[in-house]
Amino acid sequence: MHVYLEFFGHKVASYGFFIALGGIIVNLIAVYIFSKRKMDINDFTIIESIGLLGAFIGAKALYLFVSFKDIEWYRITNLSYLAQLMQTGFVFYGGFIGGIIAAIIASKANKIDFRSYADEVIFLVPLAHAFGRVGCFMAGCCYGMPYDGPFSVVFPENSFAIHGVKLFPVQLFEAAGLVITCLVLLLLKKLLSKRFQVEFYLILYGVLRLITERYRYDAARGSLFGISTSQWISIFMIIIGLASIGIQLTKSKSKDCLTV
Amino acid sequence: MGVAALVLGIISIIIGIFFAGALGWAGAILAIIGIVLGALGKKNPESKGIATAGMVCSIIGLILCLLLYIACAACVGAAVTLG
Repeated sequence: MHVYLEFFGHKVASYGFFIALGGIIVNLIAVYIFSKRKMDINDFTIIESIGLLGAFIGAKALYLFVSFKDIEWYRITNLSYLAQLMQTGFVFYGGFIGGIIAAIIASKANKIDFRSYADEVIFLVPLAHAFGRVGCFMAGCCYGMPYDGPFSVVFPENSFAIHGVKLFPVQLFEAAGLVITCLVLLLLKKLLSKRFQVEFYLILYGVLRLITERYRYDAARGSLFGISTSQWISIFMIIIGLASIGIQLTKSKSKDCLTV
Repeated sequence: MGVAALVLGIISIIIGIFFAGALGWAGAILAIIGIVLGALGKKNPESKGIATAGMVCSIIGLILCLLLYIACAACVGAAVTLG
């Protein structure tokens, strides 16, 4: 639980460190997979980078949208305030939706088969996300609810979490869930020969987020009919995943009927 | 495209080293654009060398900007009251 790590006398933000570490590991695995499958790594780089740009814009845009009233817009031309505003406040789901849309547009514009690349490496998304969650734990953000039981943690004063109170380590709980999601996707990839990989990711992460959201205690989480905003998005993700599997199965069944 | 990738890569490295605190987000965006241009440039055999250099510089710039800029992101869980 350190907001900053020190390397050779230089302070490095632990959150950024874990994001970068996760990004490097995940990309090395992706490059290995694509070279083994003899797929174009440049095409993957284009989809991934534009997706990343879309994710950045989406995550920030959703944050600005949801916290519109809290932002001091009259100070927006102040460089230090702008830097502070840009430094914190990213919504994962905004990033996810923005990233997917941008990646699909990029693949269409460059005539790349998005689906074949996504099915190949979608299991790496939860792995990268798990690194991010460990970064959250180190920084003390995205913290859990007060809890006095096994594995409870007390964050230090310089962290983003509330200090001096025993909290549930929801970040590590989610990180473990994300690693399990990654392994399950990998298993399903082998069992179903890459079918429904994206759909399974949507369903599995949706379920995990539905659970972890209940144990989070950071910020005002917003709710509608007693369900938080992120839980609503999770429900939509699960429905989209299930609907897409249903549609594809129906299509393949009707094709089989036609051929028979 | 290769030259543009190299220019953006170098700018993002400079931002990453000297101005990451205030402009790290801008450096990260420039680096990502540099990576895209590098990947596109690598498809053209004439500009493959410079595009690869641009892509490498952009990746280094992106990592520097991420390391030195983001203290905590992806953490805000939709802070809005919809009803």
